[in-house]
Amino acid sequence: MNRFAESIVKFKWLIILAVAGLTVFFSYQANNLHINADIISSLPDDDPAARLYKEIGTQFGGNDMGMIVLETDDVFKAEVIQHVKQITDSLKYTNGVSTVTSLTNILDIKSSEWGIEIGKLVDEYDLPVEQSQLDSLKNYVFSKEMYKGAVVSEDGTATAIMFTLLPDEDKQAVAKEIKDKIETLDLPETIYFGGLPMMMNDINDLIVSDIVWLIPIVFFVIAIILLLSFKSFRWVLLPLLTAGLAVIWTMGLMAVTGYELTIISNIIPVVLLAVGSAYTIHVLNSINHNKLADRKQALVQALRHILVPVILAAVTTAIGFVSFVFGAYLTMIKDFGIFTALGTLIALVLSIFFVPALISGLSMYNKKTVIENEEKQTILTHKILLPLVKFLFKHPKYTLIGWGVLLMLCIGGISLIKTSVNMADYFKKDNPTRVAEDVMQKKFGGSLPVFVVFEGDMQSPEVLKMMISTEHFMKEDPNIEITQSVADLIEQMNDAMGEGKKIPDDKAKIEQLWFLLDGQDVMPQLVNDNLSKGIIQSKFASVDSKELEAFTAKMNRFIEENPNEHCKIELTGMPSVYVKLNSSLINSQYNSLLIAIIMVVLIVGLILRSASKGIFAAIPVVATIIVLFGFMGITGIPLDIATVLVASIALGIGIDYSIHVITGFNKHLISHGDAEKAIEETILLSGKAVIINVISVSAGFLVLLFSQIVPLQNFGLLVAVSMFGSGFGALTLLPVILILVNRKRKIIANNQ
Amino acid sequence: MKSRIQTAVMTAIIVAGSVFSANAQDASTILKKMDNVMYSPKDMTGKNKIILIDKNGKEEIREATVQQKGNDKRMFRFTAPASQSGIAVLSLPNDVMYLYLPAFGKERRIATSAKNQNFAGTDFSYDDMESVLFSVKYTPKLVKTEGNVYVLELTPVGGKSDYSKVIVHVNKTDYYPELMEYYDKGNTKVKVAKYTFKKIGDYWNASEIEMTDLKKNHKTKMQMSDVKYDTGLTDDDFTVRKLKQ
Repeated sequence: MNRFAESIVKFKWLIILAVAGLTVFFSYQANNLHINADIISSLPDDDPAARLYKEIGTQFGGNDMGMIVLETDDVFKAEVIQHVKQITDSLKYTNGVSTVTSLTNILDIKSSEWGIEIGKLVDEYDLPVEQSQLDSLKNYVFSKEMYKGAVVSEDGTATAIMFTLLPDEDKQAVAKEIKDKIETLDLPETIYFGGLPMMMNDINDLIVSDIVWLIPIVFFVIAIILLLSFKSFRWVLLPLLTAGLAVIWTMGLMAVTGYELTIISNIIPVVLLAVGSAYTIHVLNSINHNKLADRKQALVQALRHILVPVILAAVTTAIGFVSFVFGAYLTMIKDFGIFTALGTLIALVLSIFFVPALISGLSMYNKKTVIENEEKQTILTHKILLPLVKFLFKHPKYTLIGWGVLLMLCIGGISLIKTSVNMADYFKKDNPTRVAEDVMQKKFGGSLPVFVVFEGDMQSPEVLKMMISTEHFMKEDPNIEITQSVADLIEQMNDAMGEGKKIPDDKAKIEQLWFLLDGQDVMPQLVNDNLSKGIIQSKFASVDSKELEAFTAKMNRFIEENPNEHCKIELTGMPSVYVKLNSSLINSQYNSLLIAIIMVVLIVGLILRSASKGIFAAIPVVATIIVLFGFMGITGIPLDIATVLVASIALGIGIDYSIHVITGFNKHLISHGDAEKAIEETILLSGKAVIINVISVSAGFLVLLFSQIVPLQNFGLLVAVSMFGSGFGALTLLPVILILVNRKRKIIANNQ
Repeated sequence: MKSRIQTAVMTAIIVAGSVFSANAQDASTILKKMDNVMYSPKDMTGKNKIILIDKNGKEEIREATVQQKGNDKRMFRFTAPASQSGIAVLSLPNDVMYLYLPAFGKERRIATSAKNQNFAGTDFSYDDMESVLFSVKYTPKLVKTEGNVYVLELTPVGGKSDYSKVIVHVNKTDYYPELMEYYDKGNTKVKVAKYTFKKIGDYWNASEIEMTDLKKNHKTKMQMSDVKYDTGLTDDDFTVRKLKQ
C-alpha cells in the first residue's frame, strides 16, 4: 500500500500528463456524441413483442407517420377548410414528406349501381364556401365510418392531417421544418403536432435543454455547498475538477463506443457531478488531517489511509448503478447504468491518482483547513451532533420504536405504489407533446398504435377473412374505434364490383381486385412488397394499465383460439409493449435491489471481515428503501423508467454512510476500548462528513427538479429523500443498534 | 449616307422584331409541332410492356395490348401476369372509364375526377396518360436552345394541375420530346419522363417512355412493340361489348 502511494507521488507528472492527454482525447470525442430521441429504438430486442413492434413500425412505415390536428369550434367552415388546404399544401411541398392525407385531399370512393366513382372528398380547386355545401360535406363525412373519428373528430371540432415521411430522410430535420412552416402560417385555429417524428423532435429539444441548463446549475450548486462547507477555493476546485473530468471522459467513452444520449443518459453529467466530487473530498480530508511535518510523507500516509474506504465508497455506488443492467427493460436504462457506473469508477481513479499527483506536483498543500475544520466542527457538533448523541444514549429504545413506527407506516404506503409506463407522462403537463397526445386521445381514439400481423398469402380468401373476423373482434373492445387492413379495401372493391361488402371466395377475384389497389399510397402501410405479410392497424384509446393488460390478454387468447394453417397471427403495438414494460418495472425493481443488497452486504462484510457488520451496515439503507417506497406510495409518485432506479442508487450511495459509521466505530473502539465512548466519538467525527455528503449529493440530485422530463424530476427528488433517509439512518438507527447490541453483550458478559 | 444609316436602323429593327416574334411564335409552334408528331395517327395498335422498378431495383412486368383511336379513345387489355390476364380498361372522352375484370365476368364504370392518382400501380398519373394536346393544356415559353433540342417551359392553363411547370426538351429536327421534367407547386422536380422515339412508317413512335417518380424513387418503363398505324379502327372497337371480349 505504501509503495502504491509512493509511486503516485513519484510518477505525478506522468499522471498529470496522461490525464491531460486523455481529457483532450475524450473531449474531442465527446463532440461526436449524438442525441437519440427515438424512444422506440430503446425497446429491447430480446422481447418478441417489442422486436416485432420495431420491425412492423419500420416495415410498414408507422414510425414515419406524423399528424397535425387543427382544433376549432366547427371544422365545417369555409375558412377552416381553406386553412386545412394551406397546411396540406405546405406539407405536400416539404422535402422528405412522402404522402399527405387530409380533409381537402382525401380520396373518396363511392360505389353505385353502375360502378365506381373515384374522386376527392373535397375539390381542392373549388373548396366549399356556401353554407349548403358545407352542410352537405358535414353530413357526408359523418355518414362514412372511414372519415368519422379518423379525419374529423366525432364532435366536429377537430380535423387531422396525416402525413408520412420518406424512409431515408432525417426525420427530426423534416419534423422541425414542418413545425416551423406550419407555425409561420399563423393560423387562428389551435394546432397540435403528433406522431413519432414530431415527438422525437420535441424530445431532442428537451435533451438539449436539460444538458444546457442542468449542468451549469449543478456545478454552481455543488460549488456553493463545497464553499460553505470548507471555505476554501481549493476545496471547491479540486472536487469539481475531478467530477468534471469524469463527466468528459464518460461522455467521450460513450461516443467512442458508439452510444448515444437519450432522455435518461442526458443526466449522467448531473449524477456524476453530484456523486463524483465526494471521492476527492475524502482524499483531501485525509491529506489535511495528517499532521506529519514532511508534506510528501504526509501525502503518502494520507493516501494509504484513505485508499480502502474511498474505493469501497465508489465500488458500492457503482454496484448500485450497474445493478439495473440486469433487470431493466429499456436499453437506454441499461446504457445509463453502465456509463454512470463507469463514470463513478473514473471519478474514483482520478481522485486517488490525479488529485494527489496534482497536489504534490503543484505544491497545493493546504495549511489552514485543519483549523477551519475544527472551528466548524464545534458549531455542527454543539448544535446538532452532541444533542443527538445525548438523545440516542438516553432513549435508544424510543429511537428504535420511532423508526419502527415510521417503517410500519411506509410499509403500508408501499401497497399504494402505482406504476406508470405511458410515454406521454414523461412530459410535463404543459409540454406540447403531452398536450397533443391528450388531444389525440380525446378526439381521435387515442394514439397508442396496435398492430396485428398476419403472415401468409395476403391474396388468399382464408387469410383475408381471418383478418376481417379479427377486426370485428377488436372492435368489440370499447377502446378500439377504427381498424384498417387490406381486407377492408378488398371488401370495398368487391362491393364496388357489385358483389357485396365481403371477401370473395375465389382467389382469382381477389387478385383482380388487387389491380385496383396497386400503387395506392396506403398499400405499403398495409401489406409488404411480396404480399407475404399484412397488418391490421388500429389505435387503443386508453393508457390505463389494467385496460391495456385486459386487451392484450383477450387478443392473445383470441389468436390462440383461432389457429389456422393459412397464416401466422401475432399481436404487437404499444399496448403489448406497455404491458411488458409494466411487469418488467416491478421485476427489475426486485432484481436490481436484490443484486445490489447481496453485493453490498457481501463486499462490506468482506472488507470489514465480519458478516454481522455487513448486515448492520445494510440495516439503515434497507430501512431507507422502505421509507423511499412508502414515500412514493403516499405521495403518488409512480414507479417508472427513471424512479425504478432510485432504490439501487440510494443503496449504493447510502451504504457509504453506514460504512463511515461502522469503520469509525471500529477505529475508536480499538483506541478507547469502550464501546459507548467509541459511538459518541464516531457520531461527532463521522457525523460531519456524513451530513456534508448528504447535503451535497442531495443538492446535486435536486437540480434534476429543473429537468424537462417528469420521471427525471421525480428521480432527483427521490434520490435526495433517500440520501436524507440513509444519512439519518446511519446517524440514528445504526448507533442505536450498536448501543443496544453492546449493552446486551455487556449484560451477558456481566452475567457470566 | 443618311439613307444607308436609316436602312441599317430599319433592318436592325425589323431583324430584332422578327427575332423577337419568331421567338414567341417559336415556342407555340414548336409545341404544336410536337403535338403533331405525338398525336397525328388516326389510330394505333400495339403491344405494351410495363416494367415497374422499385427503389431496390426489383422489377415487375406487365404486358398488355393497346388500341387507340384519335386522342381520346383507348383500350388496354392485360395479357400478363396470368392473374391479371384479361383485365381490360376502356378510356372514353370526358373522364369515362370502364374496367373489366374477367374473374367477375363483368364490367364497372369508373368515373374518376382524381386525375393525380396513378394508373394501375405505375408512375403515370391518369393526367399523364391523358392524350390531350400539350398546346391545349399548357402555355409554352422557349427557355433556350441547347445542342439538338429546344427547351420549353410549359405552364398549365388554368389552375387545376398538380404541376407548376413542365420542362420539355423537344428534338430540333424531328420535334418529338426527348425529356419532360415535372415540377410540383413547391417548385421541386417530382417526376422525369425520358422518351425514346422511333420512326414507324410515316409516324414517330414512343418506343419507350421511362417515368421516374423522384420522391418514391420508383420507375416505370412503358415499351411499345408491334406498332401498327391507321389500320382503320372504328368507334365500335371502343365499346363496352368489345371490352368484355
